[in-house]
Amino acid sequence: MTGFLVRRLLQAVIVVIGVMAFMFVLIHLIPGGEARAVLGPRAQPPAIAAFNKENGLNLPVWEQFFRYLWNLGHFQLGRSYYLNQNVTALIGQALPKTLVLVGLSTLFAVVVAIPLGVYQVVRRNKPEDYIITGLTFVLYAMPAFLLGTLLILWFGIYIKIFPTEAPQSTSILGILSDPRALVLPVLTLSAITIASFSRYMRSSMMETMTEDFVRTARAKGAGPQRVLYVHALRNAIIPIVTLLGLSLGTIVSGAVITESVFNYPGMGLLAINSAFREDLPTLLGVTFVVTIATIAGNLLADILYAVVDPRIRYAKS
Amino acid sequence: MGLKGILTGNPMRLVRTLALGAITLAAMSLMLIGTAGSAGASSIPTGGTKVSGGTVRWAEPPGSAPTYIFPFMSSSIESVSNSSQFQYMLYRPLYMFGFPGKNSTTLNPTLSLASIPTYSNNDTTATVALKNYKWSDGESVTASDVLFFMNMLHAETANWYDYVPGLFPDNIKSVVATSPSEVTFTFNKSYEPTWMTYNEFSQITPFPTAWDVTSATAASGSGGCSSGVYGASSTDAACTSVYNFLNGQAGNISGFSSSPIWSVVDGPYTIAASKGGSFSSSGQVTLVPNTSYSGPQKATVTVQELPFTNDNAEFNALVGGSIDVGYVPQQDITQNTSNATNPGPNNPRLTNFYLTPWVLYGYNYAVDKFDSTGDGGNAGAIYKQLYFRQALQSVVDQPAMIAKFLKGYGVPTYGPVPVLPKNNLVDAYEQSNPYPYNPSHAKSLLTSHGWKVVPNGTDTCQKPGTGPSDCGAGIPKGAQLNFTMAYASGTEWQEQMMTVEQSAWNAIGIKTALVSNTFPTVIQDYAAPCMTGSPCTVEEGWWGGGWEYSPDYYPSGETLFQTNAGSNSGNYNDAKADTLIAATNTTEASLDDYQNYIAKQLPAIWEPNADYELSEVRSTLRGIAPQNPFANLFPEYWYYVKK
Repeated sequence: MTGFLVRRLLQAVIVVIGVMAFMFVLIHLIPGGEARAVLGPRAQPPAIAAFNKENGLNLPVWEQFFRYLWNLGHFQLGRSYYLNQNVTALIGQALPKTLVLVGLSTLFAVVVAIPLGVYQVVRRNKPEDYIITGLTFVLYAMPAFLLGTLLILWFGIYIKIFPTEAPQSTSILGILSDPRALVLPVLTLSAITIASFSRYMRSSMMETMTEDFVRTARAKGAGPQRVLYVHALRNAIIPIVTLLGLSLGTIVSGAVITESVFNYPGMGLLAINSAFREDLPTLLGVTFVVTIATIAGNLLADILYAVVDPRIRYAKS
Repeated sequence: MGLKGILTGNPMRLVRTLALGAITLAAMSLMLIGTAGSAGASSIPTGGTKVSGGTVRWAEPPGSAPTYIFPFMSSSIESVSNSSQFQYMLYRPLYMFGFPGKNSTTLNPTLSLASIPTYSNNDTTATVALKNYKWSDGESVTASDVLFFMNMLHAETANWYDYVPGLFPDNIKSVVATSPSEVTFTFNKSYEPTWMTYNEFSQITPFPTAWDVTSATAASGSGGCSSGVYGASSTDAACTSVYNFLNGQAGNISGFSSSPIWSVVDGPYTIAASKGGSFSSSGQVTLVPNTSYSGPQKATVTVQELPFTNDNAEFNALVGGSIDVGYVPQQDITQNTSNATNPGPNNPRLTNFYLTPWVLYGYNYAVDKFDSTGDGGNAGAIYKQLYFRQALQSVVDQPAMIAKFLKGYGVPTYGPVPVLPKNNLVDAYEQSNPYPYNPSHAKSLLTSHGWKVVPNGTDTCQKPGTGPSDCGAGIPKGAQLNFTMAYASGTEWQEQMMTVEQSAWNAIGIKTALVSNTFPTVIQDYAAPCMTGSPCTVEEGWWGGGWEYSPDYYPSGETLFQTNAGSNSGNYNDAKADTLIAATNTTEASLDDYQNYIAKQLPAIWEPNADYELSEVRSTLRGIAPQNPFANLFPEYWYYVKK
């Protein structure tokens, strides 16, 4: 296992450098002057020259890249052109917000979706199964902006039991201390996840229930509950572990639509706004963090496979 | 029938129940979304019994939170949200423009820190007499505070967003504090006083001596920038050190409200934490009244500036009642208005608010690249033909597009001086719309200059040459009118207008392809003038933001249309225009000549200018509307009345 982890970590470093190099080159292939895009139509040649010098944009691209890598190695992600803050500070503000929102939504989705998927298998081809399938299809097909807007209209404006905005505090404690304001965005975000996770769970559980070991367990006299929760569930949950591992990148990169609808500026909005503004240091910084989270999520999923299924071992071979 | 009943009932009944539920849900949603109805025209309420104090929760435009506190900004930082809607409330410019509760575009002597300058020596010298304003640390606003700014500007021109080579401060020979309350400026030549006051002195913001330091613990004035001789190299060096320190302090957003530097204010508000103010890095700002403000009107209300991710989130907050001054998104305006500055009927969901359109003093335009090598190398030569530019403009139906796509909340552009808000600088000729919508005239302009017009096809030059009925210099036989127009995506009305214009141009055979891109990309490709010696393949571009006259409040064209000017995006080059522009800087009566010539010459395609914001103000709040055409806020004049 240790050897496996070391190999995966080395791979991760190479992947991160590769992704950042690709992004850096891609961004610098954009034609035209970055300075003019940032400074606007009023900018005069002296201001453009000063901007280029201050940001090292007057240097050859290869030199800019190696400087960027050097700074990255020291966790210096640069400074936003527009927001007058270090990218590290910007991510430091946005990331906790996103972790709370998307983390809570994912947790809620898992808590609801797994039992839901199992219940559908138990009531397979019965009305309950059809209803839940229908509802999950509706939720899965519903865009987050529509669901969010409807929830705001119903519960925020007409019934007035929840605020129209997510918590506006900048600290995790402040956000968590306003649980009413979290209800609508968490519901919006988790609805789609519940729909997809429960479908995976249902499908995986049905497949597992036809396996030989389930038949053997039944033949040995295990009761339906024991077969379901002790023998089948543990095996059926592996696809969900994969989904959870892969979703770590999503959790970190944020949910741009939900953040936008509920006025909750997290990582998603930071990324998309920096792309639209061509705020390149911020865009590269967000990409760096999301890349690391995606790799970490995959690694975590691999480790969890071994925990969930003892037959999986990462041997040297 | 309960849930259990549904789950165990017969399937057809179940389907019917679900279908009924879905239909009900959909119907309710549609009702909730579309509860628009008719309402009377919105008007600014007056009267009521004044209530002292209170808090005004003011919605920041989407993604436009203030980020910088030091009122000496570089181009990358400069924005209305930093200057007009934040810094000006803390640190007053030497001259304020516009009036509280009015959309006047002139200098406001009452709110300015100094009297109107006195010009002498054939307008080569100006004397500025400061009034009796105080900083919050008890010091007076003095001549050395003005000198401090001027010395900083001289040392750091590259970090001043409004710096134009050859103009302010390059054209200032000396600045001398002749007494504690008087500063004398000497220019390099004679200047028209209004131009100088409106375009150059308008940029000055006095800095307190407490800022003349190079470390947090240094003694006030020890930096040597406020006391140095203007233009001396030793002063420049001292000012650069002070600038580096202050710029560094201004980079610590989370420390703004606790900083002893930024707590020294001369405006009506402060964000000092010790006074109850705050500034968060996410854009939430609490401005509390500066109790030691020495201006004509002390503030009573606290202002909370609140950030929003987009206008829908803001609109939900507005309808939900969690803000007091916000804006209605363009798509939520339910009925047209007849005039961009007057409100039409308000959205019926906003019963506790009144609508007040906010029109800025600016204009809008799309760029023709006069040096373009596009269109088979002919684009630049074609754009240089006045008849062609007239043909392009003659099918841009601005009034119709404003009525259709902006519901009347937009101002047509007919030249470089805005026709609204009402002002005494725009001339009758420009206001008359020199190029009204006239497709047959546009077509005849082309045919009479040697083009074979193919409606919805591509026109070709049949008569090359430079005669009055020829295509024009540099345009070969067979040249085509085939162009690409790039525009900034993401704004619905701009996309609609571009589509209509494309259709109108195509109808007279000016084949136009549209390309949409992000705002910065369009700026990047089209705002910079083409460089001599570099290929310039782009043709036409519209970033949609236009030009706002601030802090250069006098609408002269030295930065826009003068040959080789930094913001002359199209590389327009006209000797007569240069002469007229130069005259606006030196003689009083020349602005009309300049604006009418430019209006006629079409150095750019004039485009409609949308209202800056369709503001919604709580019906119990007074003193705010109409709003300032330079986007300034005057909350010291705001107050609530009893319901």
